[in-house]
Amino acid sequence: MGDKIRLEGVTYSYDQNPVLENLSMHLQPSLFYGVVGPNGAGKSTLLKLLDSFLRPQKGEIFLNGRPLSSFSVQDLAKEIAMVPQHSHYFPFTVEEMVLLGRTPFYTRLGKPSDNDLAIAQEAMRVTDIEHLAHRVVSDLSGGERQRVTLARAFAQRTGVLLLDEPTTHLDLEHQINTCRLLKAKSEEGVTCIAVLHDLNLVANFCDHVFVLDRGRLVKQGTPGDVFTPKLIEDVFHVAVPKLSHPLTGRPVITP
Amino acid sequence: MRHRHVGSIIILVLAVVVVATALGSVRIPLGDVLGILASRIPGLKVLVQETWSVSREVIVLQVRLPRVLLALVVGGGLSVSGVLFQGSLRNPLADPYIIGVSSGASLGAAAGLLFFIPQGLVGLGALPLFAFVGAMLATFTVSRLGQHRGRLEPTSLILAGVAVSAVLTALVSLLMVLRIQNLQDVYIWLMGSLSGRGWKHLAVATPYVVAGAILALWMAKDLNVYLLGEEAAHSLGIDVERLQRRVLVVGSLVAAACVSVSGVIGFVGLMVPHALRLIVGAEHRRLIFHSMWVGALFLLVADTLARTVLTPTEFPVGIITAIVGGPFFIYLMKRGTGYHG
Repeated sequence: MGDKIRLEGVTYSYDQNPVLENLSMHLQPSLFYGVVGPNGAGKSTLLKLLDSFLRPQKGEIFLNGRPLSSFSVQDLAKEIAMVPQHSHYFPFTVEEMVLLGRTPFYTRLGKPSDNDLAIAQEAMRVTDIEHLAHRVVSDLSGGERQRVTLARAFAQRTGVLLLDEPTTHLDLEHQINTCRLLKAKSEEGVTCIAVLHDLNLVANFCDHVFVLDRGRLVKQGTPGDVFTPKLIEDVFHVAVPKLSHPLTGRPVITP
Repeated sequence: MRHRHVGSIIILVLAVVVVATALGSVRIPLGDVLGILASRIPGLKVLVQETWSVSREVIVLQVRLPRVLLALVVGGGLSVSGVLFQGSLRNPLADPYIIGVSSGASLGAAAGLLFFIPQGLVGLGALPLFAFVGAMLATFTVSRLGQHRGRLEPTSLILAGVAVSAVLTALVSLLMVLRIQNLQDVYIWLMGSLSGRGWKHLAVATPYVVAGAILALWMAKDLNVYLLGEEAAHSLGIDVERLQRRVLVVGSLVAAACVSVSGVIGFVGLMVPHALRLIVGAEHRRLIFHSMWVGALFLLVADTLARTVLTPTEFPVGIITAIVGGPFFIYLMKRGTGYHG
């Protein structure tokens, strides 16, 4: 199968300091990718480049074989959805907020169609926020807000989902539910790419892991191949024993 | 539902217009006001008998009505401009007065009034364009100074606005003191007043305010998305830089048109959208629509007070908006912006 996304020698610098250097990656449909690495490794920058919010100084990113730079902002919004690390919340209702995910699909003065409303409804159902539809977002808890943002991205119905630390403010149950949802999305054909700090979530749910360290891709592969005690020590400077989950056999990372 | 609201709003605004026109140093019975207004509306003329004196008709039609209508236009315009600045800078404390745009417009308009219009180089209709040039210069300077690492910073923006505003206001004062020697006029211009304004001023400001309001509604959907933050807006298909530029230009143009006929009336663009955001929410189509009529009524009521409380003298309406608005601004600062959830 052809690559959904391809990066060729992508370099991005901020004020002369390279944040990402000579990055080449291939990403396929129907897989859940985890991006891990210590703070400052360039993980968020990678997502911003994939979303074309930032443009690489060197190299090129391709989406469905076409250079990312050749897409208009609006066309790109129909292909790639983003859940940013920081979202602002306003006195919008949950339903209004989720419907914003449909903005790339209707005109400036137009109204969301019945189809848009149905898609928003479905996105609220799978993220379990249907009962909050008419509540005001700024009154919700952190976890509920995060699910609203997720529903908004789902409502875009894109082939690519980018998520920057989608589980950070969530309790254990919602962390796991979010990962299950992303896993389910990827099984529907979506390329999911999530920056995650919790290596055990990555080990449990992701199909493929990219490890970034100081702007370079230092290792990639299945969680079982990637998360060796040596790599954890080299990249995260923490000594861990080799452990695996008694039921799934996937790696468990704990000191 | 929406249409029923629009009907009640129109009736409310008309009622306030009639009452405000009746009030003043010479009180005119409401019946006469209604009769004089009706006599000017083609279909209704047959229904009324002209029982009022000519002087009353002159007061209503030549003095009060244009000023009342101008208060509506300026109040609505300043409020829409406030919504636009708050939306595009994502800062609830941004309003044309506080970030220095009004001072810039006032300098531009003062330059036009003192150097170009008396010489007959251009007509009064060009006044908003002078104000617009000044407003854009201020907007550009303040949004540049308010940036930190390429991002607009709420606090730096306000501080830059205060500083730029202080310099521009001083320049306006200097200009006026040097050229006209009449401190009364300088003071009225700096405080913001609708005193002595007539139909020609209404004709000057209205087209810009109406056009700006239409453009604002046209951009409302994008502004809603932009509230989510730059990254999220980009991922939803918004060209963030282009939107920001357009909104600042339209906001400056509307503010400039208002300032060019009324001087610098502060805080209207801050208070009205803020209060309404609490009532109707942040959705921009609703917010812009309601800000227009509430802002219009707010300034009309304030201006009516300004010219009736101390009859027979009157004072600049900017004094009232500042007395109400200053504490409101402090309250917002203390409460935290409440804008970032």
